[in-house]
Amino acid sequence: MDASTSVVNTIFQKAWGETSAFIGRSRKTGGVDLLILLGMIGLFFGLLELRGEWTGSLRPTVTIDLSPWALPRYAFFSLSRGLLAYLFSLAFTLVYGYWAAKNRTAERILVPLLDILQSVPVLGFMPGLVLGLVALFPNSNVGLELAAVVMIFTGQAWNMTFSFYYSLRSVPKELQDAGVVFRFNWWQRFKWVELPSATMGLVWNSMMSMAGGWFFLMISEAFVLGEKDFRLPGVGSYMSVAVARGDVPAMLWAILAMVVMIVILDQFLWRPVVVWAQKFRIEEDGQQQVMTSWFLDLLRYSTFARWIKRRSQASKSRPAVVAPKVAIRHETPGPVGSLGRIIPVIALGALTIVLAYGAWRLLGLVRFVSFAQWAGIVGAAFTTLARVLTAVALGTLWALPAGLAIGLSPRLSRTLQPVVQVAASFPAPMLFPMVIAVMAWAGIPLGWGSIVLMLLGTQWYILFNVIAGAMAIPSDLKEAARTYQIRGWQRFKILYVPSVFPYLVTGWVTAAGGAWNASIVSEYVMYKGQMMAAWGLGAEISKVAAAAEFPLLAASVMVMAVMVVLFNRMVWRRFYRMAADRYSLSR
Amino acid sequence: MDSVSNQQFPPATGALCEAKRISHEFALPSGNPVKVLEDVSLEIHPNEVIALLGPSGCGKSTLMRALAGLIRPTSGEVLYHGLPLRGLNPGVAIVFQNFALYPWMDVVENVQSVLKAIGLPDDQVRSRSESAIRTVGLSGFEEAYPRELSGGMKQRVGIARALSVDPEILFMDEPFSQVDALTAESLRSEVIDIWAIKERNLASILMVSHDIKEVVYMADRIVVMGAGPGRVRAIMPNPLPRPRDYSAAHFLRMVDHLHEIITGHEMPDLPELPGEEPPASEIIPDAETSEIIGLLEYLDGRAGRQDVFRIAADTNKEFGRMINVVKAAEILDFIDTPGRDAVITATGRRFIRETAEGRKPIWREQLLKLWLFRDVYEVLDRQERKAIGSDIIKEMIVFQMPAENFDRVFDTFVRWARFGNLFAYNEDTEEMSLQ
Repeated sequence: MDASTSVVNTIFQKAWGETSAFIGRSRKTGGVDLLILLGMIGLFFGLLELRGEWTGSLRPTVTIDLSPWALPRYAFFSLSRGLLAYLFSLAFTLVYGYWAAKNRTAERILVPLLDILQSVPVLGFMPGLVLGLVALFPNSNVGLELAAVVMIFTGQAWNMTFSFYYSLRSVPKELQDAGVVFRFNWWQRFKWVELPSATMGLVWNSMMSMAGGWFFLMISEAFVLGEKDFRLPGVGSYMSVAVARGDVPAMLWAILAMVVMIVILDQFLWRPVVVWAQKFRIEEDGQQQVMTSWFLDLLRYSTFARWIKRRSQASKSRPAVVAPKVAIRHETPGPVGSLGRIIPVIALGALTIVLAYGAWRLLGLVRFVSFAQWAGIVGAAFTTLARVLTAVALGTLWALPAGLAIGLSPRLSRTLQPVVQVAASFPAPMLFPMVIAVMAWAGIPLGWGSIVLMLLGTQWYILFNVIAGAMAIPSDLKEAARTYQIRGWQRFKILYVPSVFPYLVTGWVTAAGGAWNASIVSEYVMYKGQMMAAWGLGAEISKVAAAAEFPLLAASVMVMAVMVVLFNRMVWRRFYRMAADRYSLSR
Repeated sequence: MDSVSNQQFPPATGALCEAKRISHEFALPSGNPVKVLEDVSLEIHPNEVIALLGPSGCGKSTLMRALAGLIRPTSGEVLYHGLPLRGLNPGVAIVFQNFALYPWMDVVENVQSVLKAIGLPDDQVRSRSESAIRTVGLSGFEEAYPRELSGGMKQRVGIARALSVDPEILFMDEPFSQVDALTAESLRSEVIDIWAIKERNLASILMVSHDIKEVVYMADRIVVMGAGPGRVRAIMPNPLPRPRDYSAAHFLRMVDHLHEIITGHEMPDLPELPGEEPPASEIIPDAETSEIIGLLEYLDGRAGRQDVFRIAADTNKEFGRMINVVKAAEILDFIDTPGRDAVITATGRRFIRETAEGRKPIWREQLLKLWLFRDVYEVLDRQERKAIGSDIIKEMIVFQMPAENFDRVFDTFVRWARFGNLFAYNEDTEEMSLQ
């Protein structure tokens, strides 16, 4: 997905071509700076508005105005929640990933814990967060807002953390050694060696994770907990209300707002960041297509940016005074300060205590769950497992050929890949009402229909992994197949499927994980103002969360986490190993 | 020039830095230890260039890392100015084989980062980096990123970075192996010039290399190391006057002499003692069947006899690798190695003149003269299923060649066996079976 220029980008590039050429000519007038100034003023007023929302008194259920003119304000709220959640995710990632990668003992607890956290659906976190945070700020909206932000965070953080942890573990050996030999302290090692080498992975995963955060936006902004109905102003709740009222134009407006939001994020945030992050590539071959960002170019034109650059350069190359010979202080690195040694131990101890306490409380909760209820939950879990696997299989059925077609044709991949990227960032649950309406009309029961809903959210992972795999097939293999006239089905079987297999496995794992999480919204849906449920663990979780039956909720979430983790260990890991042993093209 | 290090440590009377009877073991993922260094002692004197020379896998990089304090040897100790070393060696900077430049920093930033790390004030960071960059001739490239530089340029940055912290001993780990030959030649003489000027703290250079000409050009003393486990075979002083000339007669004699030492060690001509038990087991060297056949073809085309180093030079092979191939051909009884020469045997000649298909039975026959292959064959033959798991064979390897990396030997074992149609190996079930 990285090698191409986005369509949207191209359009902007064209539209802006003239403008930026003009701006380029009239740099002295400071046109760009004017734009930046305007942007900043807009941001300032936006933040004022936001402040009002956050510090206002507690309003659990705001009335959502379904007029399209209210949407920009709602979109701004949702966007700021998503960005704030992202900041939390980033901070969490840096601390947690660093800790797991650097401390062998902590690693043994933190990595499996992350695996479990990743498999807990957002509703598993919801009651604790909402009740806890609202109790913490009883008189203002902060608690509720924070709860929504943290719910979005749970859709973003884990993926990023895994990526960061793996990057830290795979910093090239010599780069690490050089850091040691030249006596970088831990902070210098972090900012000069470890963080930079993890940056590329972190940036790509940030984009993916942001999309993951939007997935549950409707739930994060509008949810029912027991008797209470919580609703925060935002695109997600706008959509929820529109669906509840069956207001189709409002639904369409919400979808449009969401698309605009995603495109804006892509153009103004991610693309500039990705282009900037190119300098942190470790592989030194220059074969990658250079990516561009009109927005970053624009920024670079600005007086403001040039002023910053001048300042940083001034410090770099001031005329040198003739070197006075001064002794270097050679210090034998003594034992690490006692404080430096104690902190990790304390942190690890605290973590263990918190985990033990949490487990104990959890056991206290699920004590009340009867055997029959457990049996029901496990049965529901297997039903959902069947749906998840069917969804993955169906997704593969269309995404494998489609992905191959796109990835093998440079023209198609150039034009379609960015579209796929934006489509994948779009939170599928917002499309559910339309799909359900179609299925209701066709008479498909939700038991089967929910598979389609899962598919809607998770097929993209398979698709763009296959695209990436197809683009990576070495040309000599393709040429060999052409020379020996291996065609059609044979070529598919001999060349294409084996070479994309490792990518396909990654796609499957991500898609299955996504499908499990999506089950809570696809087995339990609102249609024409009524809730419909299919038998399954996702529906179970949604139901008991809405009814605030915490013992059952805890039990169902536990079962889901166990199912997902076990399935990862027993099935997906095997596929991974097979892919690495047999189908890896890099060996 | 004076430095804090000299105040902290007593002035060097004998060695600047010294390895005292160090041994080092690595634990393989499987838990079995592999010995990479055994009882190695070495002194680095002031004002000398000392080179560690040896085939890959002889532990020369490990020895260098131990001296630098990057790893702690399993036994023995490292002294710096006569005092035992704890942690990093304070007087050492390293130039790395693969440069180890941070790709996200430009040339100046790469150099300045190490100066900032030792806590110099800003103005000194600037002046020192500037002078180091000038010394290696990189002025004008300050703002280039590593990916924009050629291998030789990158290594100049690596050298500038190491020099900028003004080390007492400069360690260079195969510094020119990733640099093209011409550039390497000019870099070698530049490094020697920088070292000879003596306007820095720099007293000595320790370099690791597998290139005989390189060490003869650069070093005052050459430490020849041998593999399995790594140890010092010989230490040879090199009194040739500088500047040295690659084509001078003295130079070539020195190169020749080193060849002799290495071949003498790596391919000893032991008289066979009648009536005594044969050696426990042959070490199976890391060599491809195609390389062995290539060697035989080469010999067959040159009257059946050639100097091993000549072969390495002719075939453009690193001599450490070539020696492996020669040893492999020797244990298979395809060649003899009197002195420095490789001589094809009657079996070798018969083998090489066969067709591709006709070579297989001869190969098979020769394999079965080796302990490992014979043992595996017998075990398989006794088995009802005629198949055994790879772990059993790996155990046999550990037992017969304790100093070798058994995974590596196993890979070679599989390739050799497959070539002779002797055993079949199924990678999925990890089972070896009789053909």
